[in-house]
Formats: sequence, structure tokens, C-alpha cells
Amino acid sequence: MSTINAEERQAIRDSFHRLLAETGREADVRRAMATDSGFDPVLWRAIADMGILGLLIPADFGGIGAGAEEIELVMEEAGAALLCGPLMSSGVLAASLLSYSSDEHAKARLLPAIGSGERIATVAITGDRGLWTPTDVSVTAVRDGDGWRLDGVASFVTAGTQADTLLVIAKAGSGLATFEVDRGAAGVAVTALKSFDRGQRFARIVFASASGAPIEGANEAAIEKMLDLARVALAGEQAGATRHVFDMTVEYIKTRVQFGRPIGGFQAIKHMAADLLIEVESATSAARHAARALAEGMPDTEVLVSLAAFVCADAFSQIAATSIQMHGGIGFTAEHPAHLYLRRARADAQLFGNSSLYRERYLSALEKAA
Amino acid sequence: MTDEELRLEASEWLARNWDARARKSKYDPDGGLKGWLKQTFDARWSVLRWPEEWYGRGLPDEQAKIVEQEFARVGATGTGLDRSHLAANTLLTFGQDALKRELLPKFLTGQYTNCLLYSEPGAGSDLAALRARADRDGDRWLINGQKVWTSGAATADYGLLIARTDWDAPKHKGISFFFIPMKQKGIEVRPLHQITGDSHFSEVFLDNAVVPAGNLLGKENDGWKVLQTALAYERLVMGEGAGERRQGSSIDNKISLIAMAREAGCIDDPCIRQDIARALAYRQLNALNLQRAKAEMAQGTSSPIMSLGKLAMSRILHEDARVMTTILGASSVLDGAEHPRAADVNYRAFNAYMTSIGGGTDQIQRNIIGERVLGLPREVELNRDLPFRESLAVPKS
Ligand SMILES: Cc1cc2nc3c(=O)[nH]c(=O)nc-3n(C[C@H](O)[C@H](O)[C@H](O)COP(=O)(O)OP(=O)(O)OC[C@H]3O[C@@H](n4cnc5c(N)ncnc54)[C@H](O)[C@@H]3O)c2cc1C
Repeated sequence: MSTINAEERQAIRDSFHRLLAETGREADVRRAMATDSGFDPVLWRAIADMGILGLLIPADFGGIGAGAEEIELVMEEAGAALLCGPLMSSGVLAASLLSYSSDEHAKARLLPAIGSGERIATVAITGDRGLWTPTDVSVTAVRDGDGWRLDGVASFVTAGTQADTLLVIAKAGSGLATFEVDRGAAGVAVTALKSFDRGQRFARIVFASASGAPIEGANEAAIEKMLDLARVALAGEQAGATRHVFDMTVEYIKTRVQFGRPIGGFQAIKHMAADLLIEVESATSAARHAARALAEGMPDTEVLVSLAAFVCADAFSQIAATSIQMHGGIGFTAEHPAHLYLRRARADAQLFGNSSLYRERYLSALEKAA
Repeated sequence: MTDEELRLEASEWLARNWDARARKSKYDPDGGLKGWLKQTFDARWSVLRWPEEWYGRGLPDEQAKIVEQEFARVGATGTGLDRSHLAANTLLTFGQDALKRELLPKFLTGQYTNCLLYSEPGAGSDLAALRARADRDGDRWLINGQKVWTSGAATADYGLLIARTDWDAPKHKGISFFFIPMKQKGIEVRPLHQITGDSHFSEVFLDNAVVPAGNLLGKENDGWKVLQTALAYERLVMGEGAGERRQGSSIDNKISLIAMAREAGCIDDPCIRQDIARALAYRQLNALNLQRAKAEMAQGTSSPIMSLGKLAMSRILHEDARVMTTILGASSVLDGAEHPRAADVNYRAFNAYMTSIGGGTDQIQRNIIGERVLGLPREVELNRDLPFRESLAVPKS
């Protein structure tokens, strides 16, 4: 468990906030989105130097050894600033899966470089249906002499075109296991999938007799732990983005004048804003409580993580969508940032499983407890 | 002419001229829409309810519908413009005869297109706060000011323009309505990029742009009334769901949520079934409402019921996009020509705002319904009765 106290946590958040306020502004985001790689390598370096990429990496391997609460807060900032690039993939998915494994060798080899940003890694999880469930894993691993051979398809691989190292989740025997594969290795065909949110790059990867090195102990339990952390990180990103679009919108309705008064003076708009505030606050509460439950291993962790997963996804989608309506014509222009948030919201709403899945999981967890 | 004679005339004419299989004219070598519109216009099918002296047949609504059914039966366009062509209808009702002679045939045959120069940076929902000015200069008007969000401005031949002609009258009472020729040196059009990736709308700068005196519609300072008619046509068309599809999209205009769900393999999912049923019902109910409203609406009058259609359509389009996103699931994060389904759904999700913002926002439609249909008290509005010059909308130097 993380030994970081609340004050230190806030300090990490504040410095990340300052960094993004300086070099992750809207213009920077748009520039990154327009590049082939999809992110800004200079900002990536700075994020690494700040220790953000090593937050979830144990101190033994050059990281900070923080946990769910820290990553949740940091992701709120990333969401607000619409950060582009492989933070989620490398800094959350890959870093946590390796950390949860028992493979000291792989940790020593991979984690320091992931933390320093020199190596970008991601985890290939789901198949073509994009459900991020164990049954949706569509890569199979079989023993081949001393090593393993991988066949099948992983899709919607986040940062799939940006990562050097792929941690591929595959069916091996009766369960799931994880294999390290180089993106450029023989038998690995990576196809970039054009994304609607240009700040996130997905790939479909076909494995044909690709050789993979097993990561010891990155088994089903470790994968599930990684996914829980990813859900909390994503919920944080969504909650942060939601609050940011909301604040931007409230600012606008205070200043835009029609019929001789700020449009926020009309009850139609004022009431919309009031209703949305419930969603904004609920998203923040859900994300932070889920982070805390996960960090402390509380018994209702599954309930809270599932709750955060759909509440934050839905809040972000709803508020980004309503924000455009509340802006009127200006919200329909590409120059205005509102649509960038809606694009992000639509993508985030699918990542690691959609809201229906989590509502179901939430209720099942409550039923179990009842 | 009896109903049966009329039906026969229309169906025989269509059989001779319209290739129902190829969906184009049998005679026009290009097979383009313009050629077909010219043919229907020459044969007087375009504007059936209009008087004979103005290119119509003076048919009562029930008979016009008979012809429209014949056209619909073979999938032919080119009729019904007496309901759907905003510029032509507004011109017919309020234009001076010489202008009507000059422009109506060109609009009805698709030779000329038009745009709507209403919104300004400071006057969107509050259109009557507009500050573009028209000043009389002999037998013409000189126009100065800026318009924004003007759809189709880059290619339009004429603009339907509202501009202020009396600064001492209250805001609604000093506005006049003009048809302004767009291709002139006093007009600069700067395209804006839309969230959908299109550049259909533009900023329009008017710098001593010229309007001939004969292009005034209705009376001077009575433009607000003309505008209400024009807006009613626009909302009518939007209420029927015009232009909801992405250009070159793979899915035909009558989207089938059922077909999509089958294709995605989720048609048996009980939650998705509920969603689809609700979305399809919204669409069907709107069609039923509009059908009833149209039957009740006298020709050429503006009916507030039509505002209901536009508001309903806004919900339909947003809800369709939501359900389609659910059906597609993770694929909805994709875009581009290789992912036509995703590209189409994403386009729809964004383009739905054209209907919920354009032509008067949903919030404004609700106000109109509340005030004009239900007769609820009007929102209190500052400066409504003040001379415009003294209102807050005019910056004081
Ligand atoms: C795709 C598209 C195409 C368009 N094409 C054209 C065109 O061809 N020609 C043209 O002239 N214009 C066009 N418009 C402009 C459109 O008519 C305006 O955007 C619209 O009327 C809203 O005005 P606004 O953008 O200034 O927003 P605002 O009026 O500033 O509205 C901002 C928000 O405040 C709300 N609001 C404002 N007043 C009230 C009130 N009294 N009560 C409650 N809520 C209120 C609105 O509903 C909205 O949510 C187009 C717009 C779009 C999106």
C-alpha cells in the first residue's frame, strides 16, 4: 500500500497541474492531436521527470510506489487538460500489471525504463468485440520448445501504435497469462485504427506464431487488479474532464448576453447547469471513493469501482454533450474546445468495458452483499 | 379536373419522363437533379398549390397530395416545393412581382441556391438584437455589418437578409427583410470549420454591399413578420429531419436501427431492444404528429405546431445517435473511411446539434411553444420596447 500522505498527494497533483497549464494547453493538445505519433515527446519527458509515469512503480524499481488514490488525482488533471499520449497505457496498465506480477526479472528489466518514459509499453487485452472481459480475449498462447507462440487478434489496443513493448494477455491452458512481445517482432502485425478522439491511438494487432516471453505471475488475478486500477484511473480522468467542461460552460453562460442579460439568467439554462452539477459532483465522489476503496482493499471495492466506472463515463458524456448545446452556434465550431471533450468522452465511454457492463457488475456485487 | 383524372395525368407523365429504376429523368443526358427539376417545373408539378400565374396549378391541398403520392410512389423528387422551398415560399408571399418573375423560376429549378443571413455574433437566439444596417441610397440599399453561422454562404446566389432600417423603433419594429445578391464585391465569405468536419457555414462580412430597392420583401421595417414565415418553413423542414446523414455515408437515409443491431449481433439484448423501440417510436410519433399538423395548417401560414416537430426531431436525432453508439459499442471510438459505421454514427452524434441549435435552439423552441401554443406568460425581456438605439444591445461609445 502507498505510504504517501494527503499533503504529498496534493503536491503531486499541483505540480502536474502546473506542468499541464504551461505545456499542455489547448493549443498544445491540438498540435499533439495533429501529429502522426499523437503525443508531444517533450511533454512526455517532462511528465516522466516529474515522476508521474513511475507513480505506480515500486521504489525498488525506480518508481514512487504510490497507488490508486494518487493515480486517480493525477488523472483528474490529465482529463481536464485533455492530455494526449500513452499515460494510461504505459503508466497505468503496463506499470501496474508488471508490478502485480511476481516476475522480478521482467520488473527489473522493464519497469525502470517505463518509469523514466524511455520505454513505452501497453497491454493488449481485448478482442474485436472490445468488451475487455476475460471471455473476449482472442489471443492464444501455446508452448513451443522452451518458449511460447502467440496466435490471434488483440484490438482497441490503447497506444498500440505508440508502444515499443506489448504485454499481451492470452489464453494459455485453462487460464489467462501475459506475454511480453516486441511491437516490431516477427509475426506481429500492427494496424493503426483511425480514432475519433485524435488524442488516443488504437491499434488492431494480429499475432501469427509470434514468440512471447511469459511474465510470471501476471495471471488472471493480477490482470483483474490491473483492470480495477485502470477503471479508477479512467474514472478520475473522466471526473476531471467533466468538471473542466462544466466550469468552462458555467463561465460562458455567465458572460454570453442575449435578450439583454447573461444567458445563465434564463431558468432553462440555469436549471440545466444545476442538474449537471449533481452529475459533476457525483462523478468526483464516485471516482475518489473508488480509489480509496481500492487503495485500502475495502470490502465494497467491487461495488464502488463498478459504480465509478459507469457514473463517470455517463457524466462525462452527458456534460460534454450538453455543453455544446449550452454554447449554441460557437459550440458547433471546430475551433471551440467543446467537441474535443465530447470526442474524448465518447472514446472513454467504451474503454475497459461500457456502462451497461458496469451497471450489471455493480448490481451483481450488491446482490452478493445483500 | 377530378381526382382520378389528375392522378392519371401525373402517373402518365411520370411514366413517360421518369426512370423509376435508375431514379433519374429519362431525357436529361446528365441525369442530374437540376435537369429533372426543370422538367417538373416546366410541366407545372413543382408547386401545385401555388396560383397558376405563379407557376402552380392552384390545387387544393387534397389534390396536391394525390400528385405528391404519385411522385413518391415512383421515388421521384421535384414536387412539394410549395411546402419545402423556404426561399421560394417566402418570396411568393412577400416579394414584389418583378423580383418573383426573375427569381422564382431560378430557385424552383435549382439554378440558384440561397443562404440565410440572420444570425450575428451578438444576435443568435435574440435575433431581433441584430445590428447589420441597411441604409437607403436612391434606388438601392447599402448593407453594412457581419453575419455568422451562415450555411451555404460560400456557394449561394442569394441571401435572405435581415438588417436594421430604423434605429429609433423598438428592436422588432425596425428590421427589414431583403434578398441580397451574394456574388458581389461588398460581400466577403469566410468559411468556418464545423465539429462534424464539414465547412458548410461561414462568417459573412458586408461592406457597403448593394441590394436593389426592388429586393425588399414586405414593407420597410416589417421584416420581423416576413422572418416569422421564413422561419416557419425552415422549422417545418427541420422537423421532418432533413439532412441528417453524412455526405457519402454508407447507411441510407432511413437508418434502420434494427438492421444495425442485427449486423452487430446484439438484436437479442433486452436493453438494446428497449432502446431501439423507444427511438423508433419517437420517429414514428413525430411523423404522425406532423401529418396531423399539416392537415390542419392552412397553406402559407406559420404554425407553431411546426415548432413541436423541430423540437421532437432534435430529440430523435440525438437519441438515434445514442442508441446507434450503444449498438456499435467499442467500434464507435473509430472513424474514417475504413470504419464507415463508426464514422456515420459519430457524424450523426455531432450533426444532431444542427437541429438542436440551428434554426432556433431547443430552448427557444420550448419558449415559443410555451408562449405561442400554450399561451403562457412571456419571459420578461429587458429593453423590448425601448428605441433600439438606446437598448443594451447597442454599445455606447
Ligand atoms: C449547423 C448550424 C447551421 C446554422 N445555419 C445558420 C444559417 O444558415 N443562417 C443563420 O442565420 N444562422 C444559422 N445558424 C445559427 C443558429 O440559428 C444560432 O446558432 C442559434 O439561433 C443560436 O444562437 P447563438 O449561436 O448565438 O447561441 P445563443 O443565442 O448565444 O445561445 C446559447 C445558449 O443559450 C440558450 N438561450 C439563449 N436565449 C435563451 C432564452 N431566452 N431562454 C433559454 N435559453 C436561452 C440557447 O438555447 C443556447 O443553449 C446555424 C447554426 C448551426 C449550429
